[in-house]
Amino acid sequence: MSGGSAMSLGKGSAPPGPVPEGLIRVYSMRFCPFAERTRLVLKAKGIRHEVININLKNKPEWFFKKNPFGLVPVLENSQGQVIYESAITCEYLDEAYPGKKLLPEDPYEKACQKMVFELFSKVPSLVTRFLRMQNKEDRSGVKEELREEFNKLEEVLTNKKTTFLGGSSLSMIDYLIWPWFERLEALELNECVDHTPNLKCWMAAMMKDPTVSSLLIDVKTFRGFFNLYLQNSPEACDYGL
Amino acid sequence: MTDDATRTLGKGSPAPGPVSEGLIRLYSMRFCPYAHRTRLVLRAKGISHEVININLRNKPEWYFTKHPFGQIPVLENSKCQLIYESVIACEYLDDAYPGRKLYPYDPYERARQKMLLELFYKILGYQNTIFFGGDCISMIDYLFWPWFERLDVYGIADCVNHTPALRLWIAAMKQDPTVCALLIDKNIFLGFLNLYFQNNPDAFDYGLSC
Repeated sequence: MSGGSAMSLGKGSAPPGPVPEGLIRVYSMRFCPFAERTRLVLKAKGIRHEVININLKNKPEWFFKKNPFGLVPVLENSQGQVIYESAITCEYLDEAYPGKKLLPEDPYEKACQKMVFELFSKVPSLVTRFLRMQNKEDRSGVKEELREEFNKLEEVLTNKKTTFLGGSSLSMIDYLIWPWFERLEALELNECVDHTPNLKCWMAAMMKDPTVSSLLIDVKTFRGFFNLYLQNSPEACDYGL
Repeated sequence: MTDDATRTLGKGSPAPGPVSEGLIRLYSMRFCPYAHRTRLVLRAKGISHEVININLRNKPEWYFTKHPFGQIPVLENSKCQLIYESVIACEYLDDAYPGRKLYPYDPYERARQKMLLELFYKILGYQNTIFFGGDCISMIDYLFWPWFERLDVYGIADCVNHTPALRLWIAAMKQDPTVCALLIDKNIFLGFLNLYFQNNPDAFDYGLSC
């Protein structure tokens, strides 16, 4: 199965069988930024995997047996072990699979990546809030809040004097925060990085990364999805297929 | 007497010097549950450390150079590296120091422990209402309360700054007539604990006048 362009499974669908040996499965949704974290790491580490997309507006009953919270992403391996919470799935993949380590081996450098991740923690809920807002004044308030959060990341880049948040090459922290920056243009939030030049440069550098560019979704498709998603349409998750 | 039984440093206190080699320093506060996590890990792994307690209501100006918002816990080593956020600090200690590993070796088992921690935070953050079950007190609040009442006796007031929803919940619970009617007097409870840990059978009747 290819990397995530299959129709989503919804209520009434048959539960999938066990995961074949040599593969790991990710339950995902094509437009979910949290699931994108996991797909970025799977790709970056060249891990053989299969993707099952879940219709998040019409969830299959069997999916709650995989994750009681009913959220994506969820990893399932051939031993039947299940891992959820996006950041935990990413760290699990880095530890369990060989090849390039995305998290530093040095304990302090690893802790630094986690501290930077904490700095980013308010962004996802702010972006969700913005997406759901219609009112112009409320929206500009959220934009201001976003700028403040981006300033924190700008400071990290300024102090480190490196292109990426973990150093001179791309690493885990960059993949963990990228999905939200990928969506800025579609949400008309690009202006929020106008005053953070290092972050803007970081975005440009990320776009050149082969893993990132292979998973990029265009602005039009995102907007089509957001439109349907806000209307709670069960077709949203399969937009564009 | 524990290793952290020293007076707090507050505004106007001189900044401490660099951390000596072979030691790691913890900025802490004796009653803070988050800092408590780090003290547990330091002890469990037998790591040589020193503790500086911070007055959280009257923070020293120099402390903001250790943490941008003056929070605890913060670790500082002899290389002047600073690590904060209690969970990050605990993992750093497990990674950086030899001896008994507290996190499992197996990646799946490690992931399981982290998922369990998320569950804990979800409990704390599961509220989008004052009470865990909604806008009125209900079974789940009564089921949780006894543990929080006991923690409250130890005075965690300053530390639920991290979890304002929990602070509100504790305050709201104390206004419930049922909770109120059964509130254990702090001094009596402490008296009980004192005798209990001495295995004194009179512990159970502590505070009774008859």
